[in-house]
Amino acid sequence: MDVNYVGEHLLPGQIGQFFIVLSFGAALLSCIAYFFATKNPEETSWKKIARIGFWVNAVSVVAVGATLFYIIYNHFFEYNYAFAHSSRDLPTYYIISSFWEGQEGSFWLWMFWQTVLGAILLFKAKSWETSVMTFVMLCQAFLASMIIGVELLGLRIGSSPFILLRDAMDFPILKQANYLSLIKDGNGLNPLLQNYWMVIHPPTLFLGFASMIVPFAYATGALWTKRYKEWISAALPWALFAVMILGAGIIMGSFWAYEALNFGGFWAWDPVENASIIPWFTLIAAVHVMIAYKNSGHSYFTATFLAMISFVLVIYASYLTRSGVLGETSVHSFTDLGMSGQLILFNVAFLVIMVVFLVIKKKEMPITEKDEEIYSREFWMFIGALVLTVACAQIIASTSIPVFNKIFGTKVAPPLEPIQHYNKWQSGFAVIVMIMTGFTQFLKYKRSDSRKFLASTVASLAVAIILTAIISYFTKTYTNLIYILITFASIFCILANIRVLGDAVKGKWKLAGSSVAHIGFGLLLIGAMVAAATNEVISVNNTGYIAVSGFDKVEKPGENLFLTEGEPVQMGEYKITYIGDSIAAPNTYYKIKYERVDEETGKVKEQFVLQPFAQNNAKMGGLIGTPATKHYITHDVYTLITAAAAESQAQHSKTANEEKTGFEDYEEPATYQVNIGDTLRYRNGYYVIEGLNKEAQLEKIPKGPNDVMVGLKIKVVAADNKQYEVQPIYLIKDGGIYDFNKDVTDQGLKFRFTGIKPDKDKLEIMVYQKPLPEKKWVVFKAIKFPYINFFWCGTIIMTIGFIMSIVRRNKEEKRKLAK
Amino acid sequence: MKKSSIILIAIIAVAIAMILVIYTDSSTYSTFTEAKEKKTELYVVGQLNKDKVLHYDPKTDANKFSFFMYDNEGTECEVVFRGAKPQDIERSEQIVLTGKMDGNVFRASKILMKCPSKYNDKSVVTEINATAFNN
Repeated sequence: MDVNYVGEHLLPGQIGQFFIVLSFGAALLSCIAYFFATKNPEETSWKKIARIGFWVNAVSVVAVGATLFYIIYNHFFEYNYAFAHSSRDLPTYYIISSFWEGQEGSFWLWMFWQTVLGAILLFKAKSWETSVMTFVMLCQAFLASMIIGVELLGLRIGSSPFILLRDAMDFPILKQANYLSLIKDGNGLNPLLQNYWMVIHPPTLFLGFASMIVPFAYATGALWTKRYKEWISAALPWALFAVMILGAGIIMGSFWAYEALNFGGFWAWDPVENASIIPWFTLIAAVHVMIAYKNSGHSYFTATFLAMISFVLVIYASYLTRSGVLGETSVHSFTDLGMSGQLILFNVAFLVIMVVFLVIKKKEMPITEKDEEIYSREFWMFIGALVLTVACAQIIASTSIPVFNKIFGTKVAPPLEPIQHYNKWQSGFAVIVMIMTGFTQFLKYKRSDSRKFLASTVASLAVAIILTAIISYFTKTYTNLIYILITFASIFCILANIRVLGDAVKGKWKLAGSSVAHIGFGLLLIGAMVAAATNEVISVNNTGYIAVSGFDKVEKPGENLFLTEGEPVQMGEYKITYIGDSIAAPNTYYKIKYERVDEETGKVKEQFVLQPFAQNNAKMGGLIGTPATKHYITHDVYTLITAAAAESQAQHSKTANEEKTGFEDYEEPATYQVNIGDTLRYRNGYYVIEGLNKEAQLEKIPKGPNDVMVGLKIKVVAADNKQYEVQPIYLIKDGGIYDFNKDVTDQGLKFRFTGIKPDKDKLEIMVYQKPLPEKKWVVFKAIKFPYINFFWCGTIIMTIGFIMSIVRRNKEEKRKLAK
Repeated sequence: MKKSSIILIAIIAVAIAMILVIYTDSSTYSTFTEAKEKKTELYVVGQLNKDKVLHYDPKTDANKFSFFMYDNEGTECEVVFRGAKPQDIERSEQIVLTGKMDGNVFRASKILMKCPSKYNDKSVVTEINATAFNN
């Protein structure tokens, strides 16, 4: 059945789809051509074809991105991607974020970075180009296949971002020719992603992931072309770059989680977070053994293996987050697009490449038979790398529980307290790794003087012990042995590296990069440990808690605090007041005023207003809170709205609509016996019984000869002197008694004239009043994070250290090539 | 044998031991009946009883939310959650609770909900923690 759909823009989609197919074809062609170019280096035509393939692929990738942007930017909701991930009110800079809300867009992002890296390799890799690019383009072809969205032999391959809404969904409404006019707006971007960190965190993370192919490709290319020894120094700057970018990307994600997510922390060992840190661990280990090999000739196999496995683990990470396998254990993995088969294939392909090369070439590898010296740097770098790998294995094992369940059909649930579970293991590893990072600084490659080594180590240990005591005391972490050990190990590492840095200032500048990075990591670890160990919920709810019935006694008071607008509450050292809110659609900002009052003088020492906001979002299931944080040098105060008044009121009115009697909005009525001329008060003023109206009439009800129909004239005077006239009516018709009420809507009043009592000479009225408008309230939670700035600060220092190392290693390689 | 090889073997042994230990730390998806017998923290998977009232009154206690849930065996149990009511729990089609039994009441420390998404047939998973992670 052919329907002529109205108003669709099919051309951009067709162009985009064409370029996806072209990018896949070009990548595959380039990969094959590079393969033959590596096999027959004399025949330059292969390399020429490969390069053409690369550039066609590059142009296609850019074209796909531009088309997708054009579609989202112009709100062409006939495309599923635009409909599912954007809406009309989305600011332009968040259109970029909507790119990576979906899997297709994030695959594109990966492809895009790989194209950029490929272009750099094309110009810089020289003799390595053909072998390295073979693997880069193979990966590029795999990625293109993820978004190609074609059916082949009944199998759907990839998921295209250019699929039409009416093809993606099976709703009858989409079969109508004019369905587009019925779609007013897109589904919108997940409010959690509407944060500036989400504009830069995913690109950084994906640049990190993408750049991990380069060390992999160098290692594999080296084994393939038998240039065993050369690859290490050539790939080292790339490995450092990948580690730096991925590290920065992970921490940015952590900062986003802290600033924008509502789980109250910066790291939760969520499987998605773990997936990104797993390859980081192995590549960090790889970088260290690569340097060890370069300087000593030891650990060749380990260096090659770690560089290769890191990229395989990147693909494994994307399998974890994209296949839906994490389903029940993770909140923020992507939704399943039914591509797990394809992802497994991608994974297996690179795993097989790795294993085959490592096994076949094992015999030819330059592995020394010499035994390592115990007093040598390379030996401890090797051990450190192994410890890191084991730490990584722990994360892989715990995160992969759902995968094992799938493979073996078991139903094992992940640990109940994931944070404690991971912390328990990782803190132990952290202590070992940090101590090794410390004392290894005092060792030299190949052979060191053991006496000198022991002297420097003992001196640093002594200082570290004193500093640890001081820091533990001030950060109040001295109650727990493992906290003390982490502090001690990190301090020791920092001190040892400061000594190296001291030498660097005297002239050995080239060693500075690693020590700066180590110092940064030490600070990061202390900051993370202290903030995670000593953060405390300060919005502890002691009131209202006792009032709750018996069985709650066993539990500690709740962590959410109830605040009514304008009523200050004392919370720890702060007096807090909910002073109102403002709406900037789609968010509501709740203004929470914090005041620190001097107890003796009553003076306000400090005051600030935090504006956490929340968005009522149907797609995400209701109210999504975004925290606001007050940053101090030594601690942060983090505030999050967990419930708000507008929500509950909306629910109340819903129930009212079902069975409306006209009286349920009012309080219990009051009945009065009154006389003409009486004045009575109500909540917001007074009213006067002015007199009876015997001429009263009612529409639709004619007055019969024996009927009595009397109106009661009432004048209402509100507090602001506004006057209202009302006339409720009393009726006796055919022996039955009726009354007809009248409202003063402005004042929330309802009058009934319910009786005439001639015997008492009284008139009876009933007055209904609406309750006062409910005061606004919020339920919120506040957490104090001490010393979290160490964490951010350490990250920045570590990144600077990486940059210094990259510059140094890059220069070394250039100098070597120049010789 | 080289020192590094010996250490490699030792570390692999440690890694294997570690993975075994990890599995003793892991839990199982369970039912209310089992929760009553064991009295330890565990996961219970089930559905919300939509016919019974969900009770959350932030004015009296902002940290108490209670509801009734069927586990996968069809056993019904009252669940008390120390925290704010997760929005949209009414629409959930599956709930995974973390917590333990206390008398006839299940005390949840974490609620993971799977809700049907409005616009597509895929489900959206939301996780709500009762308290911060430092408990």
